[in-house]
Amino acid sequence: MQDQLAALLAKASAELPALASRPDFEAAKARYVGPNGELTALMKQMGAVPKEQKPVVGKLVNEAKTALQAHLDAALARLEAAELAARLGPAVDPTLPSPDRGPGTHHPLTLVREEMTRILRKVGFTVVEGPEVETEYYCFDALNTPADHPARDAQDTFYLPASARFGNVSKKNPGERYLLRTHTSSVQIRTMLKGTPPIRIVSPGRVYRRDTTDATHSANFHQLECLYVDKNVTVRDLKALLDYIFASLLGKDTKTRFRPHYFGYTEPSFEVDLSATHLPKVNKPWIEIGGCGMVDPVVFQDVGYDPEIWSGYAFGMGLERLAMLLYGIDDIRYFYQNDVRFLRQFA
Amino acid sequence: MKLSRSWLQDYVDLSGITDDDISRAITFLGFEVEQVLRTGAPRFDLVVAGRILTRDKHPNADKLSICTVDVGPAHGGVRTIVCGAPNCDAGNHVPVALPGAVLPGDFVIKEAKVRGQASSGMMCSAKELTLAEDAQGLLLLAGEPAPGTPLNALLPPGDVVFDIEITPNRPDALSHLGVARELAAWFGKTLRYPDVSFTPAAISADPRPDLLASVRVLAETDCPLYTATVVTGVKVGPSPDWLQRRLAAVGLRPINNVVDIGNYVMLEYGQPVHAFDAARLAGAELIVRPAAEGEKITTLDGKERTLAAGLLVIADAQKPVVIAGVMGSAEAGVTTSTTDLVLEVAYFKRQAVRAASKRLGLASDSSYRYERGVDVHSLDEAAHRFIDLILAHAGGAVAGPSHRVGSVAPWEREITVTPAFLNEKLGFEIPAAEMRAALESLELIVTHEEPTATRGPAWTFSIPSWRDDLDRPIDLVEEVVRLHGTEKIPASVIQSPGLVGNDDPIVLFNRKVAEAFVGQGFHECVNYTLRPAREVAAWAPPAQVEALALANPFVEDQSHLRSSLVGGLLESLKLNQARGVAATRLFETGRVFLERNGALSECVAAAFVLAEETGERSWRPREAADFYTAKRHAATLAALAGLELERQPTALVAAPALGWQTGHAATAGDIQHGWTATFGLVDLAHLKALGLTGKVYAGFFALVSEKVEADADRRGYKPFGLQPAALRDLALVVPAATPAAEVQKAVAKHARAATGQAFALESVELFDVYTGKGVPEDHKSLAYALTFRAPDRTLTDEEVNVAFTKVQSDLAAAGFQIRK
Repeated sequence: MQDQLAALLAKASAELPALASRPDFEAAKARYVGPNGELTALMKQMGAVPKEQKPVVGKLVNEAKTALQAHLDAALARLEAAELAARLGPAVDPTLPSPDRGPGTHHPLTLVREEMTRILRKVGFTVVEGPEVETEYYCFDALNTPADHPARDAQDTFYLPASARFGNVSKKNPGERYLLRTHTSSVQIRTMLKGTPPIRIVSPGRVYRRDTTDATHSANFHQLECLYVDKNVTVRDLKALLDYIFASLLGKDTKTRFRPHYFGYTEPSFEVDLSATHLPKVNKPWIEIGGCGMVDPVVFQDVGYDPEIWSGYAFGMGLERLAMLLYGIDDIRYFYQNDVRFLRQFA
Repeated sequence: MKLSRSWLQDYVDLSGITDDDISRAITFLGFEVEQVLRTGAPRFDLVVAGRILTRDKHPNADKLSICTVDVGPAHGGVRTIVCGAPNCDAGNHVPVALPGAVLPGDFVIKEAKVRGQASSGMMCSAKELTLAEDAQGLLLLAGEPAPGTPLNALLPPGDVVFDIEITPNRPDALSHLGVARELAAWFGKTLRYPDVSFTPAAISADPRPDLLASVRVLAETDCPLYTATVVTGVKVGPSPDWLQRRLAAVGLRPINNVVDIGNYVMLEYGQPVHAFDAARLAGAELIVRPAAEGEKITTLDGKERTLAAGLLVIADAQKPVVIAGVMGSAEAGVTTSTTDLVLEVAYFKRQAVRAASKRLGLASDSSYRYERGVDVHSLDEAAHRFIDLILAHAGGAVAGPSHRVGSVAPWEREITVTPAFLNEKLGFEIPAAEMRAALESLELIVTHEEPTATRGPAWTFSIPSWRDDLDRPIDLVEEVVRLHGTEKIPASVIQSPGLVGNDDPIVLFNRKVAEAFVGQGFHECVNYTLRPAREVAAWAPPAQVEALALANPFVEDQSHLRSSLVGGLLESLKLNQARGVAATRLFETGRVFLERNGALSECVAAAFVLAEETGERSWRPREAADFYTAKRHAATLAALAGLELERQPTALVAAPALGWQTGHAATAGDIQHGWTATFGLVDLAHLKALGLTGKVYAGFFALVSEKVEADADRRGYKPFGLQPAALRDLALVVPAATPAAEVQKAVAKHARAATGQAFALESVELFDVYTGKGVPEDHKSLAYALTFRAPDRTLTDEEVNVAFTKVQSDLAAAGFQIRK
């Protein structure tokens, strides 16, 4: 028995380390410890062992069994390691580039718009949207634009034919024409008509002018406009807004200055200049960035707000212009060509 | 508008104020300075007249001479100067730049040695002084000026011209007097009005009804006031130099004294005026009337113009002689042989002048001012100034009283404000005295003052007639802050009392789309909303193309509103391909316009394109996109709007599929019900026509803008089983046309019913689609993996089998063929 066990272990220790595959291993394992295995057969002889020898033989068998199991475990571990290695394949060349596409990119106009709305949201401005197809009332009349103002000319503004019908752009007066909004200020009117003061909104969006497209003009472009309506809003508050916006955008030492100007829907009105030292490709101390003013009482009356109680300010600027200044882009048409070499630069 | 500094000086003393300070003042008064031009000679310090006394050859240089030059005792008497000019001959009077002078180009003159010879200054050519383009030797000064005379004293005076933009609310500033008033207020100076000496009492000759017997106005609404004055015996000739220089400086070509004076008065007062040759008027009558259709007039610019009915003209007995407020006729114009004049000073309504100017495509300095609005209450003053200057510079006599037709109500306007009101609107304190002084400096005069309990004095200001823009207390806020200086508005910390709403759902949708698609490697594009008709026709049904057309497109390529974003994205792909730039994944969000219930609706939309990678080779190819890739992305777009594309009926795009490839593109949803999605392969012929190589898959999602909703309410939590799942596979054979979604829905329904309350169907997933052997023709086999699970225990095979058998029998009963 002892000899048989020794022989069996010797055979196993020679055979098992040489096994090359898992089926071979399973077959070998069956040969030793399976129901018809050699060790199993030897263990079955235990019944025939005289009773007084049983402890000794039993011990021998157990030792052999443990030793055999160790050989089996070792063989299995070796095979599993080989299998894992086979799954890996050869080592990679870490210096090769990934063939997968890189991340996409946000359009620079989106980046600038989002940055502006983020800055404004911190001081309580909520983003609102309005229709791009507008009516004469919302785009002009309600903003105190005289009936014979040149901005209303078919020369400067795109109109839809008189027969045009829009299901979801409401008209104030049945006779008005539809047009493509020339500024986002129409959103102010819709917001004020729909809501009640106090109001603090920012409306970014696409606007249209009947202009020749060139390096600085585009048939459509984007504006961003802020409106704040509350009690006791002052010129000083308006200045504080502008200072806050541009200090947030360009750094604490950025300055703004106002120059008196004229807009039909604000009184007083100002143009806003920005200290340009942080901007690439600008070699002037100040650069014009937008227009602003205190909401004209006529506008409040028109939307049914009592100008004796309510006051407010509005500020508007062009997003393309801002993006051009921030990034040093010299041609507005690049925004609309979508050359991927351009788009990749801003992500 | 161009303003001459020397001209402004007539009305406000600007001496000692730099050009930059004037520019700055104009800027902060609210008029943008577009440019500052200098005319005539620049200012030369230390450049004086000299007289060359001697000329000798330079010992060391052939082309140089050594001269002695008398520059006057104040500048050291006689100096020695080395000179290279050929004409530095003794006796010549020439400009000498003394040491210390700075010539144009920042050229500093110093004591120097030229080839070993001391030179104490420089004799100058016209070019060196920027007085002429060429440099043929030294500038020779005529008239033997005394040595030492400053050069500027010998040259015609130069001028500085400010080209400024006047906002539409300030027609009063379209004149030198108007801007001078602003500058006087800014610099704290007094405004000096021109001396007008003519009065209607001072008629110097008898009336001449043979020249002008009467004026009739047949259009009182468009012409509320018309005056005409006859001046006889004038001598037409060149204007005086100073007048010519001023006109030339501001960009007007001097013509003759009468025409120049007319222009001068217009630029001085802002009131357009006109002079006729009285002898060239047919009949002795002027009629202000609407033109008859087809009447002709040859205007002063030499062009014959045909008038439309209703345009306002001034006519003689036979023909129009002036297009009112726009331009006169050449025929009745003043020439050198003119001796008798009719001087017209009139008020035309802006609408009348604009209509004529626009209709004829003819604008003038006069029409520009009428369109902006002239001050009729200053009309007589301008008319008298006109007469004064004519008498002074063209001679003649005023023949009888002026003809005057029409009248205007006297101007009266007052605004009452308190300093407290002004300060409240500003949000900072300007002392009451400063505010009052600022307004009074603009000739807003306090006519009445009444104390109030808490708000300071209530001032009643009379508003001058030229400030029609000032009508309400709020209008005075700007006047006060303008003159205080908008640069002095104090800084403060932004106040943001709690007032926060939610961003518009449209913004949230666009933002989510951008995040999702950028994350998947798409580049965001921005394309124009206005598209060419041929492109719109590829994406909108023919009946809608017309509805999308603008009434007044500017260019042919931008004539229609877009109904899809795909056209623009294909154009972007094309541009990149044409430039050899790899671009395969693009997306865009934006508005589109779709027909809905018989009208257009503005819709919120998003779209993407996935181009086959044609130009781009890869060292390790990746799996190509296909229809189902497009479907996945389209479903993502819908999901970001809170909609489930997979739950909607989906069908192939019906032929004609417009821009989509028949059989390879599908739609889900319906814009009539609020939203639509289309996705799949772009029509290959369309791609070819666009010049795009390779296949392009695309997807487009649009949602009526008012249906974009904010995030859905927070959903409740449903427990999910932790026990082992039981899986069963089931294949059904169905006709090929049966929508897979319907089959899946049926499987799920019956499986749910079969499990009853005992346990649950967790999911049904399609894992195989098979056609071919074993499946009848025009049929397909769809294989589904069903996952069952109980919340509280391991399912036994028996109970699952019972349920699964029931699922199969129920499906068979429902008409489905189970594939064994």
